[in-house]
Amino acid sequence: MPDVLIADDSEFMRNLLREILEEDHEIVGEVENGVEAVEVFKEKGPDLVMMDIVMPIRDGIEATDEIKSSNPDANVIMCTSVGQEEKMKEAVKAGADGYITKPFQKPSVMEAIEDVVPS
Amino acid sequence: MNVDIQSLGTFNQLAHEGAEQATQSMGQMTGIDAVVDVTKITLLDRADVGEELAGRDFVGVQFSFDGVLEGDTVLAFDVDSAGTITEEMMPGSSDDEAMARSGIEEIGNIMMSGFIDGWADYVGATIDHSPPEYIEESGGDVLPDAPENGDHQQVFVFKSEIEWIDESVNFYIYMLPEYESLTEMMVEHVDTDGDAIPIDKLQTFNEMTTSGTQKAADNVEMMTGIPTESEVTQISFAPIEDVPKQIGTDTFVGTVVEFTGTPSGYLMVLFDEVSAINVAEAMMPIEMDSDELTDQHKAAIEELGNIMTSGFVDGWANVLQTSVEHTPPRLVHDMGQAIMDPLAAQVGQYQEHAFIIDSQMRTDDIEFKAEIHALPNEKELRAALNDLDVERATETGADVEQIFK
Repeated sequence: MPDVLIADDSEFMRNLLREILEEDHEIVGEVENGVEAVEVFKEKGPDLVMMDIVMPIRDGIEATDEIKSSNPDANVIMCTSVGQEEKMKEAVKAGADGYITKPFQKPSVMEAIEDVVPS
Repeated sequence: MNVDIQSLGTFNQLAHEGAEQATQSMGQMTGIDAVVDVTKITLLDRADVGEELAGRDFVGVQFSFDGVLEGDTVLAFDVDSAGTITEEMMPGSSDDEAMARSGIEEIGNIMMSGFIDGWADYVGATIDHSPPEYIEESGGDVLPDAPENGDHQQVFVFKSEIEWIDESVNFYIYMLPEYESLTEMMVEHVDTDGDAIPIDKLQTFNEMTTSGTQKAADNVEMMTGIPTESEVTQISFAPIEDVPKQIGTDTFVGTVVEFTGTPSGYLMVLFDEVSAINVAEAMMPIEMDSDELTDQHKAAIEELGNIMTSGFVDGWANVLQTSVEHTPPRLVHDMGQAIMDPLAAQVGQYQEHAFIIDSQMRTDDIEFKAEIHALPNEKELRAALNDLDVERATETGADVEQIFK
């Protein structure tokens, strides 16, 4: 059961993800921007980061790049409303392991997690 | 076929001056004090012409015109204001149906001649028009069928909205030119090559935006369970100072983002207050049943605005094979005009006219209506249109599985 860090500037979306995940996963933290995501990742070392892209201060792609640079084994799933091909390629380049576009349903989230962190 | 921005601006000015001339004629005949509020050129689907008139009854006059420019014009008053106008022209005439009708025909004749004459003077040629035809219809039926445009479904419409000072009454002048004659005239009056836009690609861009609106509507449906249909999508061109007036004075709740890339600009997702509460509650796992906007409603609206924004602009980015970044959404709750004012002021630092992209979506199940307005930087939109590969116009989606394989 992987523990998860949620990085999303939307309180609504953090709540929604927590509700989807907390039955099967431990939520080790919820953060609102990319800087906090990197800090909490380094502090708590979660098995998985659910990372939004459009966030204030530092966006999710930059944060993913930094997390993957510090720990290439980190697992990061981009969890974003952005459905642009170029942005997806940037996410791949930064080292993202998966990509879910909002809006999403619980099965697609669980499937993406299973792909990246098999149970 | 390229048309320069200056020509579009000149044509918009011609329509505006024509409407002012028409309004002045009416003022002289009736003593009614009115001003031309907004004049804009809009490119939209033929089927959507006059959609904004829905739910109201109109009387008016219609003319056909031909010569260097061909098409139809309509002057439309709502039923109540038409009675007042005829009464001002000739006291007692509103009780005599034939007299009232004749009065409307005559005032229409005089007003519309003023409207058309400016165009003829500008091109230095004659534009003839037919005798006025009296019309009495509901909603968009007051307008004639928009002209055919070959295989394309989109047409240019010039629309002036005239506001009656001290009365909450507006009336409208529509001009629906034949596409070919209008674009030929535009091309003949290209002043410079530097700021030309490919007019055919503008149609393609509008079609991409329609697809983006449908994607945004699909996102609403997925998040709320409310079946949502996209409705009108159009691109308008207007002086920058007229842009805020087009959003009106109703109060909206929604989000504003600044987007960067090609093009850059601003994008608003707006809901009226009732729709905002309805849609936010539909997104929440627990029932709120509140008549007022709470912080939870606002958080839900903020996220929905974010997702709708992405749905709207992702298609542009994918077709143009670029990325369009946007800031996190900023929640707004104010009069439409007040929301748009600072954005238009920002864009207005660099341009005198603006393209405004407007979309609407609604549902019949509950009271829900949303509007999306995009205000792109004109130079960057022009660059994007020049780069647009029409063959790729339907490739608005991205295959995430392929990219992450």
